Amino acid sequence: MVTDRIKKIAHYVILFLILGIMAFPLLWMFRVSLMPTGSLQSFVELWQGSYTLKNYSDLFTTSSMGRYLFNSSFVALIVTTGNVLFCFMVAYALARYRTIANKILFVTVIIVLMIPAHILIVPLYVLMLKAKMYDTYWALILPWLVNPIGIFLLKQYIENVPSTMEDAARVDGAGEYRIIMTIVMPLCKPALAVVAIQIFFTNWNLFLFPFILTSSESLRTLPVALAHFQGQQAIDWQHLMAGSAIAVIPVLIIFIILQKRIVSGITAGAIKQ
Amino acid sequence: MKYILTILFVLMAITSWAETTIELWQFWTDPAIKPTIQNIIDDFEKANPDIKVNLTDLTWANGHEKIVLAFSSGTGPDVVELGSDWIAQFGANGHLADISKYISEDSASFQGWGMANYKNKIYGFPWILGTRVIFGNKDLLKQTQFGEDYIPISFDDLKNSSYKIQKISDNIYGWGSNTAEKHRLYKKYLPFFWTYGAQIFSDDGKYCVLPSLPAVEAMTYYKFLHDSCGYVANQRGIEDAFLDGKIGYIISGDWLLKRIELENRDINFFTTLFPGRKFPGKSFMGGEFLSINDASDNKDEALKLIRFITSPENQIKFCKANRSANPSSINAQEDEYFKSNVHLQTFIKQINLSKNPPVIPDWVYIENIIERAVEDVLFNDALPGESLREARSKIDKLRK
Amino acid sequence: MRSNRLTTLVLLLPWIITFVVFWLFPLLFSLITGFTDYSLISRNPAEWIGLENYKELLTDQDFIISIKNTFIFVFGTVPITTVIALIMAVLVNQRFKGRGIFRAGYFLPSITSMVVISLIFTNLYSRGGYIAGLASMLGFTPPEHGFLYDSSTALFSIMAMDIWMSVGYYMLIFLSGLKSIPSELYEAARIQGAGNIRQFFLITLPLLKPVALFILVINTIKSFQVFVEIFVMTQGKFETASMVYFIYETGVTTAFRFGYASAAAYILFAIIGIFSLTQFILMRRRHPLW
Repeated sequence: MVTDRIKKIAHYVILFLILGIMAFPLLWMFRVSLMPTGSLQSFVELWQGSYTLKNYSDLFTTSSMGRYLFNSSFVALIVTTGNVLFCFMVAYALARYRTIANKILFVTVIIVLMIPAHILIVPLYVLMLKAKMYDTYWALILPWLVNPIGIFLLKQYIENVPSTMEDAARVDGAGEYRIIMTIVMPLCKPALAVVAIQIFFTNWNLFLFPFILTSSESLRTLPVALAHFQGQQAIDWQHLMAGSAIAVIPVLIIFIILQKRIVSGITAGAIKQ
Repeated sequence: MKYILTILFVLMAITSWAETTIELWQFWTDPAIKPTIQNIIDDFEKANPDIKVNLTDLTWANGHEKIVLAFSSGTGPDVVELGSDWIAQFGANGHLADISKYISEDSASFQGWGMANYKNKIYGFPWILGTRVIFGNKDLLKQTQFGEDYIPISFDDLKNSSYKIQKISDNIYGWGSNTAEKHRLYKKYLPFFWTYGAQIFSDDGKYCVLPSLPAVEAMTYYKFLHDSCGYVANQRGIEDAFLDGKIGYIISGDWLLKRIELENRDINFFTTLFPGRKFPGKSFMGGEFLSINDASDNKDEALKLIRFITSPENQIKFCKANRSANPSSINAQEDEYFKSNVHLQTFIKQINLSKNPPVIPDWVYIENIIERAVEDVLFNDALPGESLREARSKIDKLRK
Repeated sequence: MRSNRLTTLVLLLPWIITFVVFWLFPLLFSLITGFTDYSLISRNPAEWIGLENYKELLTDQDFIISIKNTFIFVFGTVPITTVIALIMAVLVNQRFKGRGIFRAGYFLPSITSMVVISLIFTNLYSRGGYIAGLASMLGFTPPEHGFLYDSSTALFSIMAMDIWMSVGYYMLIFLSGLKSIPSELYEAARIQGAGNIRQFFLITLPLLKPVALFILVINTIKSFQVFVEIFVMTQGKFETASMVYFIYETGVTTAFRFGYASAAAYILFAIIGIFSLTQFILMRRRHPLW
């Protein structure tokens, strides 16, 4: 039993070591964001130096930090909602109705998954311009409403869900849409949660396209705003890290709330099989 | 009463009908200066009720790209702030209006027209200029034989005092040397290049004469500073270290004065003109210009706006808020604000002794090629002569 | 049956629209542009120049270096990320106190903005930064000017950061794979006297193969597109420029040669296509249900 104990301790040591490595950079960011302006040189300062919220309040009073926060949340929420609904619809059709046309469409999903999205910078720009959507929220939302990764994940998942319940409902005379929304969708909750969280964070952190497709300050999302800060000659690490922390905190909060859901969703999926 | 109201409505209708909107794109987004810009724009709108100004902010990171994309798709703004390096590129492609006809009355009272002059057409109105000077740390000099009040006059002075500062301790460096960093590194080499007497192009502009004896000498000199006493980092990193008192000399711009003031940094420093065989040496000059879109329907209003923004009073207002040292307006330069500050004076003196890179459309590419050559010498130990020759053949190929 | 077809169409419509408008059209647009000298800055109309762009690319030293860097990045990060993610998944899959905290902690970097991560590591990797301090504590000599300002360490530093950032995400996917392995299998193995390590190789690993391959595909595609970290941290200097960085730089910065950049983009497209197809074929062979 002693070996068991040693194993347990070793397990925890390894776990904490990894946790330290994973957490340190982010902790460092929070710590620096709370430091008064000035030199960042000494290692000791990290533990002993003083704390201040001034960097944060500076950002909110002298830049449009509130607006950036709103933009990021607004866009990410709409895109996530859209993806959960649309990806599920598409994935369901691809998983259940296996016609030739559907197979071809699934191939398009796979192809798009492999396309380096970054090659689309300029064609998308031109498209947005011609459609009069350049520098509007549409440019930040429309292209990302149906993410092939979401379709891919959900299709794999739905294929593993037995269709017996749907067949039974069909025999009972329930309509297709009702079956999809009230029977299949709840069964897919775990996968939907994975898709939702992935899409939300992907979109929240999206940088290059918002950077290119908008120009107004009022449409800047947080990553874009941070890149703008970085371009400024006179900003110091303390303020830069305060801005970074503001971009991380909402993700942190949402993650803490959603994390349980994801884990329980995964567990639920496992039990079913 | 009804009568008056009707007239009022009609008047309102007329004025709103006659209102012109000017799109203005500009780069000053820093919280310290943005309100001032807005302020100047508000004043302009108050003085010209028939003109509305639509302000859009650009950043150094992607501003150039956005301007190009907008111009190429015909949606460029009426007035755009352009860095001096970009004017020729946009002008040569027909995107900018030639304002040479309208500015005869302004030409004597503003500095910097040369940077907007491509093939005898003027594509931009000088606004805020910029140059770089040497910043030195007095406390570090005090610890050497040179003493606190030392000022390097010749290249040897700079080299020897940097070297002595480097020797003070392991954590102290003589010279702040830029790492490979786009648009920044070559601007540190060119002052030495010019001061040694080298040129990029022959006087008639036809041939690239980049590899020359003075160019190699300048590169060898710069490489010595870099290797023997350089603190190598990006511009921000160098400035951080300088403010922490770890570097003897750095090249920097007026933004560093602003940082020292805003962050309340406790540093005993001086600013001085570039050293040279014949003191003072030449520095690098650039500037922000306001250009008019050639496709704009409101060129007159645009020019009016530009004149307003660049008026001496507004330039002083701007410079005070941004701690900029080099207004383009000569009247503004005479202001007490600049006269009373010894550091600002260094900048104003230096800019008259500075050179700007050639005003040619290909400069943005050539700049890149020169930068690569400097990188190769500093970081890959390429031979100065060879890398400059290689750069010339690339430039020749590009211009063909 | 007819209504069924209509239903299918309605369900697929979001994808059909997105695909045609936001993928097919831009792709064709840039495919065509790849054969022209279309430059965004020029007012002259674009001219058809055939394969010139492709020919020039194959002799462009910058492009070839960017391919090399991208391959180093992909083949350096993807396998290591997968292995570490698997180990981490196994470590946090067991029952123990505080499991949730560890999972959350490991996962957190992967949902943090790449811009933010890059900013943080720019400082940590700098001269006198914490990573240099750690390196000298362990007896290594950190690069004199910092990890990012040295050609021999810059790319590897970015790769290490990338692995650090993404392992948590792939750990989570592995975790969902681990959860789907029926526990009866382990019980049966235990009854037959198989130890933990044998169980891992006999049951866990084979059953995780489809998940692992899925991770490989996704991560390979993502890694071939590496851009933001390079943009923020080194601007492609010190031999870190990736293919997407090359496309960005030639296409929408200094040079604005969109035709040229589009041709480069199509070469990248082809490379990713070849790799992903190979992986898919392997996947099918090993796991016919996929």
